[in-house]
Amino acid sequence: MSGELAAEFPGLRAGWISCQCSDPRCDPGVGERLALLASRFNGRQALELRQQQVPAAYRSFFRQVGLDPEQQPTPIEQAVLGRLLSGGNLPQDRISDGLLLALLETSVPVVAFEAGAVAPPITIRGAEHGELVTDAELEPGALILADGQRPLCQLFSAPEPPLAAAAESESLLLVAVVVPGVSEIASDEALTIAAAAISGG
Amino acid sequence: MAALLIDQGVGSNLAFQPRLEIDESAARRTLRAQIAQLDLLLSAAVCEAFPDRLELPVIPARGPRVQSLGDLELLRDSLIGSLRQAREALAARELERSAARALLEQMLADPAKHRRLRIAQSELGVGGCGVWSVMPRLGPMGRLLGWWRVKLSSGCPLAT
Repeated sequence: MSGELAAEFPGLRAGWISCQCSDPRCDPGVGERLALLASRFNGRQALELRQQQVPAAYRSFFRQVGLDPEQQPTPIEQAVLGRLLSGGNLPQDRISDGLLLALLETSVPVVAFEAGAVAPPITIRGAEHGELVTDAELEPGALILADGQRPLCQLFSAPEPPLAAAAESESLLLVAVVVPGVSEIASDEALTIAAAAISGG
Repeated sequence: MAALLIDQGVGSNLAFQPRLEIDESAARRTLRAQIAQLDLLLSAAVCEAFPDRLELPVIPARGPRVQSLGDLELLRDSLIGSLRQAREALAARELERSAARALLEQMLADPAKHRRLRIAQSELGVGGCGVWSVMPRLGPMGRLLGWWRVKLSSGCPLAT
């Protein structure tokens, strides 16, 4: 992470882990865990989530970087809202399920990249003039996830193909964006849960 | 950058323009802490309002970036405004509920004076969807004889 950004947001970092996905089909065990987690939230609990430590840290960070979490909910709030609207955590594919499981268990968002398309270390930095993400020019100063060669996606935006992992991807790089106030244990746990759910471990 | 001008009298204006690098980091840190604290207070107000929804002003956003000191100050001020608005809404709601509770007590004390009056549980700030209503005892006979009572309905209709 750039020095200026590190000084501005001590504790802001990206964690990552590699994993393999040999079977794109949904894991029934993960599906059961998602169903159990779905029963954890009703309307009041979904709302009160914002007062818990990790979700509150993401909300604060959203505010501090100029995002309004009431208009653009944090990843965990978005996931819980999705669960309320759809009536449950519906299984999609192994990778999406693994990422959702990690998010619901830890409140730390994890995104998946095609391992062959990105080159760790992954950093968080401000976009420079003229930098592009999938042919779209980034506004200078916008906070982005980047590898050693290029920007990968805007912070808290879903990566797009060909960088994003697809349902049939076999080799993945999972990246967690950790904001100030979130412990390293929580981010490690999120990455471990996602990797285990995806690789079937 | 600060500019200091010293007028030394007739014909000689000496201008000092020392270049001062102002360290904003402490101010920025304080503002960020205030923003985090205000967001927590706002979250608490939103939770307290449940199941009602607080209408909060939209704060303009333009993607994640490091905010300038001015932007942080504006955001802090917007959040203070939102928090004030949320607290006023909660206070107004509490007043309405107090009035509804007082009316219910009057209904219970003297049903005949409050014929056909209805107060929903939600107006009292109580969960559920029952309704307190003043009804005649024994139907038409009670209405003719002035036998009135307060009844709490059994709750939500069954889903069809």
